[in-house]
Amino acid sequence: MARIVSVHSFRGGTGKSNTVANVAALLAAGGRRVGVVDTDIQSPGIHVLFGQHSAELPKTLNDYLWGRAKIAEAAYDVTPPMEASAGRIFLIPSSAHTTEIARVLREGYDSGDLVRGLRELIDQLALDVLIIDTHPGINEETLLSIAISHTLIVMMRPDSQDYEGTGIAIEVARQLGVPNLLLVVNKVPAVLDRAAMQAQVEQTYNCPVAAMLPHSDELMVLGSEGLFVLRFPAHPMTALYQQIADRLLV
Amino acid sequence: MMEIKGRILVVDDYVLNRMQLKRALETQGHTVALAEDGRQALEMLNAGDYDLVLLDILMPEIDGFEVLTRLKNDPARRDLPVIVISALDEMENVVRCIGMGAEDFLPKPFDPLLLRARIGACLEKKRLRDQEVEYLQQVARVTAAAAAMEAGDFTPDSLDDVAARPDELGQLGRVFQRMAQEVVAREQALKQQVHDLRIQVDEARKASQVAEITESDYFQQLQSRVGDLRKILDT
Repeated sequence: MARIVSVHSFRGGTGKSNTVANVAALLAAGGRRVGVVDTDIQSPGIHVLFGQHSAELPKTLNDYLWGRAKIAEAAYDVTPPMEASAGRIFLIPSSAHTTEIARVLREGYDSGDLVRGLRELIDQLALDVLIIDTHPGINEETLLSIAISHTLIVMMRPDSQDYEGTGIAIEVARQLGVPNLLLVVNKVPAVLDRAAMQAQVEQTYNCPVAAMLPHSDELMVLGSEGLFVLRFPAHPMTALYQQIADRLLV
Repeated sequence: MMEIKGRILVVDDYVLNRMQLKRALETQGHTVALAEDGRQALEMLNAGDYDLVLLDILMPEIDGFEVLTRLKNDPARRDLPVIVISALDEMENVVRCIGMGAEDFLPKPFDPLLLRARIGACLEKKRLRDQEVEYLQQVARVTAAAAAMEAGDFTPDSLDDVAARPDELGQLGRVFQRMAQEVVAREQALKQQVHDLRIQVDEARKASQVAEITESDYFQQLQSRVGDLRKILDT
């Protein structure tokens, strides 16, 4: 049985897509077959981190949802060159075309279709892990992604504007009966006592923290240029992403 | 150059010598205290604060050698300069005293010019020595402040007197103090931010927003279908 993981945040800019891409790369480097689904249909973007351009992606998740393609046609093998690993990464992007985005916002889609499509993906691509990169905030698409997940990762920044929204996302996930809830705190200032802050976050939300990712100018520059963990395997940040990947396999 | 004035203890068992020295030294602007033997001298040294001791060597009971020995064995007073008073025919005793740590000697009978020159030189040397000791103590304060900063128990006003110096050490003290204050302020702001994490989650407002989501038709439908949706994926 494939593990389904949603990565969510209440607000944008928490580093969600970067985390999804890097964790997927580490899982694949560890021999796992990983699907990455971009359900951020309103503002897709994770394909860039896997070196893909929207113009070169003829089929997307949108085509599947409108019945114009089978979901496997919208799955792209984006596995980067990795030494001695049988792992793969398959990306199912959302369309970056504004007319497609407008249609989703206007008409919505059948949640049952999405879930059946994900099942097809799992079977046809023999996936071990399926990671869903969600749209920030709580809307119908994100609620569906959260509901079908075995694990929900909620990403937040140490920022007063994130505190309440994170609490809402956690509470909603609890009411949907998500079995595993994890928090990832990103962009933590280097001078902050990370251990003390982690303890306080865990106490506030009654939820374990998978990693405290430090704020780093270096990472902001290097992280936008591709998969950080593969370019800098010995970097302390890579170890923290590995910590998240390990939690998904427990 | 302006002559340095000091607090001088004159120790001599011969009253005429004491009075003569007192008059000469006070004429030169110094403050003078008198002791008529070694015992009284040691008592006065324990009780008071002096810049210089004029010490006769040959005295009944506790003589000048004994006073000198006790002074040099006392860590708090070993740097107090001592000029021994002696007749020219006691040169052997003078040499012994200098070997024990006396700064200089003053021959009897006293010559006012020689007295002025030796006292002045001795006080100037002491002033320089005091400055050096204070400088080294304040350097040690700055290094101790750095260690305290690392241990997280530095208090900025502990360097106030170092920062008040007009020289480079004072500048170091001021820069250190300012940087430390900035670091402390930043850390306090961050600690406050972490503290705010607990208090800024408004539970009532959160509960109301959660209810708004969970009471919606979509959520209710989703909740009733979630079991079926999971079955599609898990079976």
